[in-house]
Amino acid sequence: MKKRTFGREASLGIILIFCIASTGFINPRFVTGDGTRDLLSATAIVALLAIGMAPVMIMRHIDLSIASTVGFSAWLVADFCAKNPSFTWWQCFVIGGAVGIAVGALNGLLVAGLRLPSLVVTLGTLYIVRGGVYVVSNSVDYNAQEMPPSLLSLGQQTFGGLLPFPFLMVIVLMVIVGWYMKYTKAGRDCYAIGSNPPAADLVGLKVFRRTFLAYIFCGFIAGIAGVFYLMRFAQVDSTAFYGQELAVVAAAVIGGIGLLGGAGTAVGVVIGALLVQTIQGALAALGVDAFWKAAINGLLLIVAIYADRVLARRTENALLAQRIKERV
Amino acid sequence: MKDVKKRFGGAIALRGTNLSVRAGEIHALLGENGAGKSTMLKILAGVHEHDAGTITLGGAPFISGSPQASIDQGIAVIYQEPSLFLDLSLAENVFVGRQPKKGLAIDWKEAEAQARKLFKELGVELDPKRQARGLSIADQQVVEIAKALSMNASIILMDEPTAALSASEVERLMTVMRNLRAANKAVIFVSHRLDEVFAISDFITVMRDGATVSEKTISNTDLQTVIKEMVGRELTELFPKTDHPIGDVVLEVNDLTNPAYFRNVSFTVRKGEIVALAGLVGSGRSEIARSIFGVDSYETGSVKINNKPLKKNSPITAMAEKIALVPEDRRQQGLFMVAGVNRNISMESFDRLKGRIFLNFKKERALTNEWRENLSIKYVNQSDPVDRLSGGNQQKTVLAKWLATNPDLLIVDEPTRGIDVGTKAEVHKLIDKAAGEGKAILMISSELPEVLGMADRIIVMREGRQVTELSRKEATQENVIAAATTGKKGI
Repeated sequence: MKKRTFGREASLGIILIFCIASTGFINPRFVTGDGTRDLLSATAIVALLAIGMAPVMIMRHIDLSIASTVGFSAWLVADFCAKNPSFTWWQCFVIGGAVGIAVGALNGLLVAGLRLPSLVVTLGTLYIVRGGVYVVSNSVDYNAQEMPPSLLSLGQQTFGGLLPFPFLMVIVLMVIVGWYMKYTKAGRDCYAIGSNPPAADLVGLKVFRRTFLAYIFCGFIAGIAGVFYLMRFAQVDSTAFYGQELAVVAAAVIGGIGLLGGAGTAVGVVIGALLVQTIQGALAALGVDAFWKAAINGLLLIVAIYADRVLARRTENALLAQRIKERV
Repeated sequence: MKDVKKRFGGAIALRGTNLSVRAGEIHALLGENGAGKSTMLKILAGVHEHDAGTITLGGAPFISGSPQASIDQGIAVIYQEPSLFLDLSLAENVFVGRQPKKGLAIDWKEAEAQARKLFKELGVELDPKRQARGLSIADQQVVEIAKALSMNASIILMDEPTAALSASEVERLMTVMRNLRAANKAVIFVSHRLDEVFAISDFITVMRDGATVSEKTISNTDLQTVIKEMVGRELTELFPKTDHPIGDVVLEVNDLTNPAYFRNVSFTVRKGEIVALAGLVGSGRSEIARSIFGVDSYETGSVKINNKPLKKNSPITAMAEKIALVPEDRRQQGLFMVAGVNRNISMESFDRLKGRIFLNFKKERALTNEWRENLSIKYVNQSDPVDRLSGGNQQKTVLAKWLATNPDLLIVDEPTRGIDVGTKAEVHKLIDKAAGEGKAILMISSELPEVLGMADRIIVMREGRQVTELSRKEATQENVIAAATTGKKGI
């Protein structure tokens, strides 16, 4: 198992480097400091959300409501800031996180508590939360002047001239989640539950608690991502981040999280998000018509799933061959 | 356990069951399907709660109702179908939920070292780092047993542990069970293979219709007594094979090869003849059957049916040429579990049953009734989903489905796996009757008594190769086992 995930991340990394290098060859701006910063900033939100969703997907569930949660959190945070000019950046995060936890708890109760199918539940909450944004926003938009300067300047910070603050947070979260999923009992339980749900019950794993907490975590990250949305765009309306949940699912799947659960890592997910964004950026840098963007994204997703199947089948055949060999 | 009772809705599963097991004992729990053995195990496993009666463990009352509580009380269960996490490593499977820690983090090196040690104690070389996916059922069981040992369980329950194992794997499992006994563990196991039960157990509890009918040490009972206690009637003949005239060659397999599974397989099956493919699980028998039927492909060689070459890789052609395959896994491959008995039986006979366009329900009903009588399938309504039938009745339903197509060649893969003694005999009778009607029968079975009792000829496979072919007269337990395990023709 170790070997296989390593292989997956390594091969993704190689594809990523190949994409960056070949684009840079045609359009050198792509590999400059500016280009790298742009790429990392543009990837940060999707990468953050994909890490947040990783435990949920590893448990064979999904959360489609995250993009709505991002929009809800972003709008509410902006609204609070507009009404309380004394707010600074950390209060934004508290509010955003709280909004996310609330949505996550609702999803968690419905999926883990009532054992409803997550695809349907979170499709429902996707509409409910987005509907909530429409209702409370009442068509009011917010711009940079209503937002705390401390928040906006935080979003502009870079480290070492290359690493924007949001992506630094992605790396921090990736390390924490990656470690947690590999080295704690709770993390391993997620893999077990996703790999074989009935067996997880039989060995006495706390399926309800793990599922519930995974949804809370996923919601929390989505709420935080709402604040990052404000940082990046300094502007929010009721349609903020509309329809982006599938980009997150795509990044996660390309990054090696199987839709059948039980496999995938935070590192893989981040590389997946980077790969999606790089290809987008590459298309722009190569002057490909923006209309092709969605279609190429979709193609990439299908290729990723196909590659996964081929890989899985090859592993299976190798294991079978090994068994035949062992017997002889 | 004393006078334990359990009901599910209106159905009474246990109506007063006693079971007492001592440490350092291998205890067999026997009974026909539906006698309540599984329910007993599930109560101990914490999956179900009992309604009445008392259960004590080492003097203390048993805390029921959750798998975790049962684990905490030292009870480990190895289910009939191993429930491993296929995406995870073996070490992780052994220690799931109880991983060894160093500080805050899980100590994977330690987990792997401990798992390696446990596998070695069990006498099986398995790499704790490898993924569970791709392991044979026997090896999966080893992992489950290692898990039980690592929990330091004092009571180990095994639900039909040998059902899917080949003879040598069974031998290995028995060694493990004896080691557990030597380590003063209590081992409770459910099995339908009575020869094994007598080979290994110290004590036998027999259940019938949800109640305990006998509790005896092994020296105070014998095979005939146990069978009588299980069925409540005397079963004189387990294998009612009768002699039939043997006619022309129906199936001719020539030099069939699929490198991953089998090589250079050649044999024939004649009208009225029962030919058994014997051998270990994984020796390529099912794959040969699947290749003949066209579900799987093969690389070289040929198959002829009634002297006509059969197109490869086409089940539709195979069915048109009157071949029927009753697969080994009735739940996954043989039946549509949620569909009614009638729909399952009529499935392959649609052309005969349709009116102008649609299925003629009257004809379907008549067909179902016909086979219900022929095979004495027990169900309440024709449209009951087969899910609700017992394993034996499900197996009869699959048989009915294929017999209804009136095949020339009937291939049956493990026809009596996991069904009780009484039904087993009925299935054997049906197969014998089909042969008597002039059908050619190719039977795959891992149960030696079944092979010896039913077959006119026995082809023994080992690791994808044909070792030998034995006539009914020549075949004995010893030479079949020897051929299957060592690849040598004689002993």
